[in-house]
Order: sequence, then C-alpha cells, then structure tokens
Amino acid sequence: MSELNLTDNKFIQFHQKIGFKFDGVKYYGYKGDTIASALLRNNLKLIGRSFKYHRPRGFYTCGIEEPNALVQIISEYSEPNTRATIKKIYEGMEIESQNRWPSLETDIGSINNIFSPVFPAGFYYKTFMGPHKNFWKKIYEPIIRKAAGLGKPPKEFKAVSTHLHHNVDITIVGGGLNGLIAAKSLIDTKYSVLLIDFDDQLGGILNNSNKVLSVNNQTPMDWISETVKEIENSKNIKILKNTLVTTYNYINHLIAVEDKFVGSRPLKDKVNSTLHKIRTDQVILCNGHIERFLSFQNNDLPGIMLCSSFEKYMCRYGVLPSKETVIFSNNSNSESLVFSLIKKGFKPKAYIDSRSGENIEPDLFDLIRKNDIPLYTNSQIKGAYGNKKLQKILVEDSSGGVNEIKTDFLCLSGGINPDVHLFTQSKGLLDWDEKDLTYKPAQAFQPTITLGSASGQFDFNAINKEINEKLVIFGIKPVQIKLELNTSHKFKIEKLWEVLPQKQTIWSKSFIDLQNDVTTKDIRQAISEGFDRIEHLKRYTTNSMGTDQGKISSINALGIVSDLLDKKVNEVGTTIYRPPYAPLSFAAIAGRNSYEYYDPERKSPIHNWHITNGAVFEDVVQWKRPWYFPINKDETMDEAVQRESKNVRENAGVLDGSTLGKIEIKGRDALAFMNLIYTNSFSKMKPGTSRYALMLGEDGMVKDDGIICKISDEHFIATTTTGGAATVLGCMEEYAQTEWPNLNVYMNSITEQYATINISGPKTRNIIEKVFPEVNFSNEAFPFMTFQFHEYEDTPIRILRASFTGEMGYEIYVPSNQALKIWEKIISFGKEFGLMPYGTETMHLLRAEKGYIIVGQDTDGSITPLDLGLDWMIGKSKKDFLGKRSLIRSDTVRKDRKQLVGILPTNKNEKLEEGQHIILDKEIKTPTPMLGHITSCYQSPTLGHNFALAVIKNGQSLIGTKAFASTPELKTIEVEIVEPIFYDKENSKLAS
Amino acid sequence: MLIIDCPYCGPRDQSEFSNGGEAHVKRPDGSAEIGDREWGEYVFIRANPKGIFYERWVHSHGCRKWFNCVRDTSTDEILKIYKIDEERPKLDSFKNNVKTPSGEPNLGSGNFTVKK
Repeated sequence: MSELNLTDNKFIQFHQKIGFKFDGVKYYGYKGDTIASALLRNNLKLIGRSFKYHRPRGFYTCGIEEPNALVQIISEYSEPNTRATIKKIYEGMEIESQNRWPSLETDIGSINNIFSPVFPAGFYYKTFMGPHKNFWKKIYEPIIRKAAGLGKPPKEFKAVSTHLHHNVDITIVGGGLNGLIAAKSLIDTKYSVLLIDFDDQLGGILNNSNKVLSVNNQTPMDWISETVKEIENSKNIKILKNTLVTTYNYINHLIAVEDKFVGSRPLKDKVNSTLHKIRTDQVILCNGHIERFLSFQNNDLPGIMLCSSFEKYMCRYGVLPSKETVIFSNNSNSESLVFSLIKKGFKPKAYIDSRSGENIEPDLFDLIRKNDIPLYTNSQIKGAYGNKKLQKILVEDSSGGVNEIKTDFLCLSGGINPDVHLFTQSKGLLDWDEKDLTYKPAQAFQPTITLGSASGQFDFNAINKEINEKLVIFGIKPVQIKLELNTSHKFKIEKLWEVLPQKQTIWSKSFIDLQNDVTTKDIRQAISEGFDRIEHLKRYTTNSMGTDQGKISSINALGIVSDLLDKKVNEVGTTIYRPPYAPLSFAAIAGRNSYEYYDPERKSPIHNWHITNGAVFEDVVQWKRPWYFPINKDETMDEAVQRESKNVRENAGVLDGSTLGKIEIKGRDALAFMNLIYTNSFSKMKPGTSRYALMLGEDGMVKDDGIICKISDEHFIATTTTGGAATVLGCMEEYAQTEWPNLNVYMNSITEQYATINISGPKTRNIIEKVFPEVNFSNEAFPFMTFQFHEYEDTPIRILRASFTGEMGYEIYVPSNQALKIWEKIISFGKEFGLMPYGTETMHLLRAEKGYIIVGQDTDGSITPLDLGLDWMIGKSKKDFLGKRSLIRSDTVRKDRKQLVGILPTNKNEKLEEGQHIILDKEIKTPTPMLGHITSCYQSPTLGHNFALAVIKNGQSLIGTKAFASTPELKTIEVEIVEPIFYDKENSKLAS
Repeated sequence: MLIIDCPYCGPRDQSEFSNGGEAHVKRPDGSAEIGDREWGEYVFIRANPKGIFYERWVHSHGCRKWFNCVRDTSTDEILKIYKIDEERPKLDSFKNNVKTPSGEPNLGSGNFTVKK
C-alpha cells in the first residue's frame, strides 16, 4: 500500500474501511476516498482503455479535468462515463472499466494501436465511402461504434431529480482561498449571497497542496474551518457544496447541479440530484485554474500524472501514487510538489526542467540541490516507454546527450490555465498573456468579477489588492489577509508545448487529446490538409471534443498550431467553450418533468364515468378523450366503432364534447371584431342563433373551425377545435391588442368552466324531452342552429341544436361541476331508447360520412376554404377579415390546387387507408405523378363498405372520374372520385 | 435566458413570454385593393437582422399583454421595452455594437474568437 500517515489527514476517515468492487474484484478504501484515490491506494494504475486505439490508460489527474479515468457505476443504474477522480466510493459500490473486451488487461481492441498508422485524422470520412452508400450505415458504422467509444448507456433507468430556483444578489463560484475571502468580506452586508463549490470540502488549493503555510498566522486548516463557520453562521450567505456550476447564461443566469448522495449509495425514493437555477445580479468567479500537460512520445502511459494532481492525492487523500517519481516541468507550479515530497520523505527520483538553471526559482533550485535530487536543466523528456505501465523515460539534457531513467512514475506540468470556461460562456472576452502563456479573462460582458487564478492573477502577494479593488463596488471593508508561503509567490513559465521524439516511427504517438486519442501528428496533418482555422481543426481532428472538453490540453493545441502557422496564439484564437462545463445527466435536466409529470393531463368532468364504463382513451393534445366504449373485453375497436356508429344512426348516441375549446367574447364592438376574425358574416344573424364558422390565417389557409353562438351584437360564445383552443384565443388577443386596439372587445377562455354533452341520433328528441320536460324541443320552437338558456335543478344550462354526426342532435353546455349529474341522467333516461355512449373514433367516422372536415386531419395548413368547397362560408360582402386578401392571390386561385373530394373503391370489398396516394395510372412507374392523398378513411356501417376523403389536385373537376390508390406494396386499387358527402345529401336529418 | 421587463408586470423570466417576431409591421388597410406583392410582403416577409431589432413579445404566461422591444440580436441585450401604442424609438438613440465585417460585436457575441 502506497500510503501516507493518515492521522494528520482530516479528509479521510481512515478508521472507516469501505469495500467496493472494480471489474469484479473486491478492494478496500476509506470513507472520503474517490474511486481513483482508493484504487491508487491499492496500487492499481491501469483504469481504462482509450477511445480509438484502445491504449492502456491510468489516472492522469485528480479532479474534474480527468480525460482517462471514466468508469461505469454498475450499482447506480449502470451510470456510464463517471469520472473516477471525483466520484466518491461507498460500501458495496460496483464499478466497471469501459471500452475494453474481454478484460482491461487483455483487450482485443488494442489491435487498433498496431493498425494506428492507417487511422489518421479524417480516416473515417475518407475511407468508409464505398462501395455502396448503405455500407456506412449497415456495415462500417455498427462495427466502428462497437469498437470505439465510451461507456454503455444504462438499460433501465429511473433517477429522481428536482429543480430549485434562486434569486440572489451575489453568487460566488468556487470556495477556495479567494472565494472564502470574498464570502467572508460579504458577511452581514445587505447582499444575499450564494457560495457554490463543487467539492464537499471548502478550501480549494489550501486543501489540495502545500503551497500556503499559514493564513493570518493560522494553519490553512484552522483558517478554513473558522472562516467556514463564520460564513455558515451569517444570515445572508448560503453555501452549496457538492454543486457544480455547469452553465453561465445571459442574464447572469447560472445552472448548477448538486449531487445529493456524495459518498453514499443513492436511495431510490429520494432526490438524487438537484438542478439549481440561479438568477443573480453579480457573479464572482473564483473557480481557480487547471494544470496543463505536455506532449511527448507515449505521454499517455499509465504512471504519468499532472504535478498538482499528484500533490492533491497526497494532501487531500493521503495517497502516494509512487514513492519514486520523476518530475518534468517548464514552470514554477511543480515547486510545491517537490516541497511536499521532500517534506513527506519521498524525494523525487529526478527533476527535469526545460528551463535553464538561472530561470528556475532560486528556492526550488536550492531545495533540489540541498536534497541531492538529480537535476536536469535545459532538458526535455523525449519519450516514455513501458508495457501497460511506465517503465523508463529518455531525457535529453542540455548537452544534447540522451539519458535513460528507470522509473514507474512521472509527474508533468506544462503550465496553468485560468478556468475560463464559465467566463467565456458568459461571453466575456479573453486575451492571450505572452508572459504566463495562457488565455486570461480580459473584459466581462455581464456583471462578472473574476478573482485569483480564475482571473489569471497567479501572484499570491496580490490577493488583497485584487479583492479590495474588485469588490469595492459592494462597499466592503478592505480585507487584509496575511499569507505565508512554502513556495514562490509568483508564477513563471517558459514556452514548451511539445517535445519531438528521438526516433519518429509510424507508430510514434505524442498525444494532444487523451480522451479522443488525438496526436500531435493529427494536428500537423489537419493543417497540411488546409484545416488551419482552429474551429475547423477541432472538428476535423476531434481535438478537445471529448467529455473533458480538453481541459488539460486544448491550450497546448493552440500553442502547437500557432508555432506551425507562425502566428501569435491570439491570432489563432480559441474555440468556443460551450455549456455545460462538465457533463450532467438528462435526469437532472428533466427534473420533475418526467414520467407521469412530463406533460399535464387534462380530463373532462365526466372522466371518472368513462373509466367506470370501460372506455379506452385517446390522447388529444393534453386531453384524455374516450376513444370507444367496448361492451366487453373481447370487442375490438373496429367492432365497437361499427356498433356505436350504427346505434347513432338508428337510435341515439351521447358523446362527451367537453374538451372543445370555448371562448366568450364581449364588448361594444364584439360584432365588428367577430366579423374580422372569422370568414362568415355575423351581422344579419339573429340573437339566439348560431353558425358554423371558419378562421383563416393571414395566408388564407384554414386554421380552425367552430360554432359561433350569438347572444347579442355585444356578446358571442365561440367553440374551437380541441387542439386549437389556446391558439385561437391567442390570435384573438393579438389582433385585439395590436391591430384593432380601437375596438372595444374582451375575450376569455371558458373551456374548463363548461362541459359539453352531445346527443345525436333519430331518437334524440325522445330522450331529451324526458330529461328536460319543461323545454319545448319541437322543430318550430327549437329549430336547427339555434340555442336557448334554461335551468336544470337550479343549474343554468345552454342547449344548442347542432350536429357533427349528420343526425339531429343537441349539445348541452353545463357548468363543469354539474356535468356528471346531467350526463348520468341522460344515460339512464336514454336506456329505453337504445342510447349508448360513443367515443372520438365513432364521431370521426360519422362526421366523415357527412363530409364534415376535421381541421388538422383533412387540412394541413395549405388548404383554403375554396379548396374545401366551403365558398358559402365566406362573407363576400365583408370588407375585410383575417386572410381575405390571400384568397385572391395568384397562388390561391390556381386551378390545380388540391381540393377536397370523396373516394370510393370501385370494388366495394377493397380497403383503403389514410395516407395512400391517389394516382392516375394503374401501373406504378417511377416517378409516378401524385394527385393527392387520402386524409380520412373508414368502413361505413351504413354504406357497408370503405369510403374516404382525400385532397387531390383539381379534385372538384375530377368528380365522376376514376383514379387509383397506391398501396405500400406498390399495388393499386381502382377508386371513384365522388362528392365529399356520403350520407343524407339533402340534410333532411339535421332539421327532422 | 433573458429577463424581460414587462411594462405591465415588471421584470420576469423569459420562460413567461413568447416572441412575436418583427414589430411595427402594419397590416395593410382595405386589403382587397392592394396588390399581390404588397400583401405577400405583409404576410410572408419579416426582417431578421443581426444587431438591433424591433420585435414584439407577449407575456403569455402572465398578463397576456403584447408589447414592443428593441433587442441586439447578436448579444441579446434588451435596449428598450415600450407599450404597443407607444412611438417607435429612433434607431440612432441606441449604440450599435456591430462593427466587425461579419457583423459580430467583439464582446458579447458567441463568436468572439473570430475577431482580428
């Protein structure tokens, strides 16, 4: 066990042993361990296979920037692509490595590494082109998908997450040194503050390294716990731990995910993660920096790690990944690792720096000399070698000689980058710093403040000045933090992006993106092929397109490109950092809007009766509507619909029409308004009468239809289609407010206030006279298309005589809370007359027999009233209405427009289908000109055969001719084109 | 996600609103007399500029009132919100950020790296 003395580590509870399984083998770690630290504790260095070449990979980092160590958590619905470097272990956790078969040690896919010379950038685009276009979809892609990739998607899944909204004055992202100082200075101010940290421990670099010796004469640990206590006790600051800010939107809108089960198994019935949606006046970004790596031959071998990560494993997790490590650096960030190693008594095996002796920090230089650590200045690592683990490295020293060093571990530092992801998501501007060799925040676009290394301020001695300057807008008392350091306070670096190998072979690989297996050779090739713009290069090579977004490597790629193109890095630019900062699960985003809460369900007030009576339901937008009412469980839908339809034609049927949209329109100018909204003219209508009306879009196309009841010139009630209710109301409001604000008119939805009960069939009058004995339903007293207000047991109701089935019928509008009572009464009184409930399918069949259209089924937004043969509905004398002018556009008056017709099969035994094309020729040739298609098709119990409605070109003049309907089997059925009405052409039933 | 300052309700989250496209597009009067082209332009043609844009919004999950808004479409900055019956504010009363050849302001646009 490579373990440090854990008694002085406050983050790991070494008395609490935790057992977990990795690839079926049981290991032990301690409470507080991540998967990575626990496996390193067990001396396990191989964690996964790479994406493309299946090369063995180890832990490269100790945090969210990890490119290699992605694992599948079997014990959590098999959650894939979890970063082992941040996921904490718990008792009984089961983990599997990814992208290997049959096992991590022996992976068949690693043969790709041998064939790698033939897999350069753009390989797939170039190679898998032929011999036939189907080859990609059917053969190449499935094979490649199986071989390349990340984890497997979970099969069964039910995560629970919830969303939480915050409105605060200030949000501090990152609870490290700067975040804590900023939060402390805001204690008991007038601002409400949210302090967010991804870790379960606040303190950041103070916990993860030995850079700082003391803060205000306290040890860093004491200072942190005192400060955190003060913040926790304050009334205005809330701390969110285990919470990662993934997104920084306009306007100061942050999205953060909180893991509710860090270090324990998620409970099934508890919220697993919370998505925080934060709106804030000011954001303070203190999210620190990320260390870069360096490119040289085989820089991906297990046993290579970033310097700061090695130190974090020591300080934070009490694990020593290796007792004898070599360090390779081009900057001062490696100093604190050297210090930590010496302090713990494991001095590095060698220290290699690309800088010359006089450019290395004097403190570091003395430290190395004093401890007799072999020092190579002006030197570079030419390559790393080993079988599935690092075994030796080659070092080119200042004289040009190549030395071999045997080692099992190598720590790298290629410089540090401010973590600018969130800053650039906020659309702030970056600028390249020639001295520190990195992009730094230059100009904020939103009210954003960056502090500390997140702002590119790498000097510990400048902390007070920066905070006091930047936070002065909050009127805080100036802070005076006294820091004592173990290492140099300033950051120094010399340019080095890549070391070219000693011997270049076709198998040589210097990686620039570990997760996506992109090599520096791929970058060169992309540039030589002309992909020299950074956004093109990224997509061609897939550099920095993995789940880690190239956090440790994307700046290196820019450096290499700028050298190759001989341009300044600022001219090369960066690719855009897009949200999210790190992957977050769909479950967290979906939150409560999933499963049964995905979409609201709307139910009619009679819904429970339908359930009791065995209705099968159909979704009509958000509504649940009875589709049909089978009399027993053996009755099929077809049988039920034939029975229900026949019964309406012979006796009577009752339909729950409550879902129809209902809009009440009132006002002095209501009449003028309705005349403008609908095609019909309502001027000559008598109060108490109603009219079937069409609503068009300004393009002249049918948008909705319904029945308009005129109570007076100043009061109308309109019905709309079930799906169109919200749109029609929205359209009325829009025109009332924006085009005709001079009209005094108001409208409101009354859809849910009233239920609608439709009775129709030849025996309707017998039934309804029994239910409402005081109402005179005779033809003279209650003619077709009129309505009356009545009272039923003190309930005000409106009865409308109208029909959508072709039979005589009434619609009863009743306040929703009284609907069930009246419905049940109708059902019980109707029994002796053979009354049966019917569903939407029967309604569709009956209306189609009568040739009544359904907007959205027989029309599709490209059909005018003229195409439907509804010329009579257009108020020609009206000066204007929605879409009127469009009806005489050159396109809408075309002769060959698609028009509504009826279709009957010549052979009455043939069955037609909705969607079938109508063509002229019996034989199907390619291409076959298409006349149109069938929009509605049913088997009529009355006719005894199939019939259909269709929209076909020039249809009205083709009536009486023959055509063919094509089937999916490329056969044709001979059909007759007829008038679109199949039942009671004389309308004698409606007024009977 | 914008914050939109509804002139009737005050600042609210964008999710409460719906966008209504270009503002100040007047519906032609006496529509039977005007030509196909003029009518067609009213029905089908809308501006979609990069930069300053006069547009309509409706507080659809709130007071359901329509109002007008001036927004820089390249940065999403809302420059002015005014009631539907108020006069159209003059363009030169807003600072136009769009300077670069591709029409990208160097700050606030997604494509900041394209700048020279």
